[in-house]
Amino acid sequence: MKKLLSILLLGFCGSLSAQTKADDVKTFTLDNGMKFLVLEDRSIPNANMYLFYKVGSRNEYPGITGLSHFFEHMMFNGSKKYGPKMFDQTMEFNGGANNAYTTQNLTVYTDWFPVSAMETIFDLESDRISSLSIDPKMVESERGVVLSERSTGLENSPWNMLNDAVYGTAFQEHSYRWTVIGYETDIKNWTKEDLERYFKTYYAPNNCLVVVSGNVKVEDVKRLAEKYMAPIPASDPPKPVHLVEPPQSGERRIIVQKEVPSPYMMIGYHTPEAQNKDFYALSILSSILSSGNSSRLHAELVDKRQLASMVGTDFSESFDPNLFMIYALAAKDVKELDIENAIYSEIEKIKKDGITEQELQKIKNQKLMEFYGQLETINGKSNNIGTYELFFGDYRKMFDAPAEFSKVSIEDVKRVANQYFKKSNRTIGVLKANVEE
Amino acid sequence: MKNLKKYAALLIIFWITGSKVMAQNPTDAFKVPDYEKFILPNGLTVYLMEQHEVPVISFSAILPAGAIYDGAKSGLASLTAAGLQYGTKNFTKSKIEEELDFIGAGLNTYANKESAGLSSKFASKDANKVLPILKEVLVDPVFDQEEFEKERKRVLSGLEQAQLSQRNVINAYWDKFIFGNHVYSNPVSGSPESVSKFTVQDLRTFYQSNYSPQGSAIALVGDFKSQEMKTLLRNLFGGWKKSTLVSKNLATQAVNSIQSSRVLLVNKDDARETTLYIGGLGIRRDNPDFVAIDVVNTVLGGRFTSWLNDELRVNSGLTYGARSGFIPLKHSGTFSISTFTATKTTEATLDKALQVLDSLHKKGIDEKTLSSAKNYVKGQFPPKYETPSQLAGLLTQMFWYGFNESFINNFQSNVDGLTVAKSREIINKYFPKDKLQFVLIGKSEEIKGIAAKYGPVTEKQIKADGF
Repeated sequence: MKKLLSILLLGFCGSLSAQTKADDVKTFTLDNGMKFLVLEDRSIPNANMYLFYKVGSRNEYPGITGLSHFFEHMMFNGSKKYGPKMFDQTMEFNGGANNAYTTQNLTVYTDWFPVSAMETIFDLESDRISSLSIDPKMVESERGVVLSERSTGLENSPWNMLNDAVYGTAFQEHSYRWTVIGYETDIKNWTKEDLERYFKTYYAPNNCLVVVSGNVKVEDVKRLAEKYMAPIPASDPPKPVHLVEPPQSGERRIIVQKEVPSPYMMIGYHTPEAQNKDFYALSILSSILSSGNSSRLHAELVDKRQLASMVGTDFSESFDPNLFMIYALAAKDVKELDIENAIYSEIEKIKKDGITEQELQKIKNQKLMEFYGQLETINGKSNNIGTYELFFGDYRKMFDAPAEFSKVSIEDVKRVANQYFKKSNRTIGVLKANVEE
Repeated sequence: MKNLKKYAALLIIFWITGSKVMAQNPTDAFKVPDYEKFILPNGLTVYLMEQHEVPVISFSAILPAGAIYDGAKSGLASLTAAGLQYGTKNFTKSKIEEELDFIGAGLNTYANKESAGLSSKFASKDANKVLPILKEVLVDPVFDQEEFEKERKRVLSGLEQAQLSQRNVINAYWDKFIFGNHVYSNPVSGSPESVSKFTVQDLRTFYQSNYSPQGSAIALVGDFKSQEMKTLLRNLFGGWKKSTLVSKNLATQAVNSIQSSRVLLVNKDDARETTLYIGGLGIRRDNPDFVAIDVVNTVLGGRFTSWLNDELRVNSGLTYGARSGFIPLKHSGTFSISTFTATKTTEATLDKALQVLDSLHKKGIDEKTLSSAKNYVKGQFPPKYETPSQLAGLLTQMFWYGFNESFINNFQSNVDGLTVAKSREIINKYFPKDKLQFVLIGKSEEIKGIAAKYGPVTEKQIKADGF
């Protein structure tokens, strides 16, 4: 961040000279299959380590739904060298902090630390990957924490509740149909054996990508990786997820009751995975619809017609085909049907007339700013480098993203709108107070 | 998630600045880069800091126009700040949005308790397009009637939605309960009843009384050349006239001290969990023990292994997270322990939290725990000032709170110098021990009896107007 390079030569020209490039990322793979991406960055005297395990709720099945997320919690509850509580105590004593998150696709562990603590971080991480303890008492206490997390999420956000219902309806066979947090009864009933099997299958060095960014030297990372991670044996690769969601053949609807002042709405269309050729065009379409106050849905629904107090879209990278989600919160005394029709009418305009050159250029400019945003912090760097490596198969694609977006044409956007925004391909969810009318 | 990073937003923030630094050496104390500060003839303070890693510029402005100036019109500061974007002398609202969206620039205007602010981020090549817009937004807003009516509808709808979640409203109830009739009790969001009564003229009057170059600052951090930027800013902001009307700052009035324990119970009929705060008055932002207080709070409730989180989450599974923190303002502040739990475990949670606070007073902090907290505070410090936006925010905060330079330069040594004996003094002096205040939001019929254990209970309804 604070590289003061040839300041005098730069004006408003925006030189890219100090920016991170793909070649700045160094990579190596240990004999046990654990891959490392390392980015040296001397802006602050800190570093981070992001460990991406290729396991998420898509790897589960009924009976163990939510287990990936539960495991994310159990990974902090003690292993051979560092017993219960010692992982966090040791890390914090050394000036580090951590968190973790689980998605449909991944379980990610994030450590942020002063660079002087790097060896301790390696020691901690390798200990829990190689020899986690699954203590029945800890399992019981952690069930309480996760049930509290589940209920506080549902209590505080109507969107969570509606999202769960839409996913449960749009997906009938693929494992995206249950939520990451899992079913309450599964949380209460999975066994120690379920946990042990899960650990053995997925927490192996060959199922993990490690990204380190910050004030480190590649050779130090390599030396510590050899010392702490290399001795951990590889496991048999996990069985791939074979479930494929059959094409949706008709519109689906789901209604959820909750005491809310005005209805919440989500519309999900099945769309392809990150590596599909249509990814970039769909991502641009998502921005056309909802990025900024001048975007189509915001300008029409929130500003001009005041049908909704907010509107948005979500289209993210995914291993398997997932949903392109449109969501809106009704303004006071507005019927959800009016919003739904207004959304369809905006979609139809794009399907019929396409978008303008000006709009396309706007989104390309915004994508470039997003790209800069990802490079502003060492955390943004690690998270995005890891994301591209996993979802797009190569971290270099992160640096190619502005060029990929540049290639998308007006015709491409119109084509994907026609291909995926079909009535038969959508699921509509409405959450409202009165479900009897 | 393993834990909610932003729960209740109880954050204590430290600032440091420093001498010329190129790249950070891992063994050196963390320092922020050089910056330049100057004051225009109209009184506007300007900060410039060059950062060239990414070709962007972050802009941050701070103005003495927060909710403490609302008077009887609760929510006026917030609507006025939002209203800066409803069009200006030369740009309509939609023109501003189209121009900024097209180049991927962000713009946010907002009010806090004490101040109002503007923040923006844009590509450095677009500085000549964006800065004239930002200038107009700050200096020449017109407060268009039609846009105001639309925004008011959205705000009213937002206030109604906010009542769905205890977490969204507990801060406003807390401040009202602790600060009583002092202006620090003013809720930034306002209430449906007050907001529905404003006119656009109220916004204009508020703007004229509170938005002035005198007493305000702007900070730019990013990929620019200071010399050129200085000229550009002088031309743009030099003509901004000082306001002739100046609002009286009522925040300097004394806050009433707390006499005895009290409980505010806010009923939410469909609640399955209780969200709660325990605490009292805290510290001013210029407290000389600021750093030491944060280190001690780190032990009590400022990190994952803190005593509160350890006891309430890790040992007992009563909650997903428990923490404590000070919110320091210019002239006063609050301290609170915050957590949430299922309705049926409300009492156990309250009692455990009180036990932890009690043991802080009885046992104090041992050498090893103190070292750990010191390492943690130091280790987690640099990433707070990593991006141009964070640094621009830092500069405007420095302006607002008038940081004491010795405090700033001695950050590391202040942390290092905290001894066990001194931590004992800090605990006695700043961490409430008795006369505790409680706010509980939950299902009243099931927790009313429990609430009464801790003090006389005042009951409110979450669906009622205001806090």
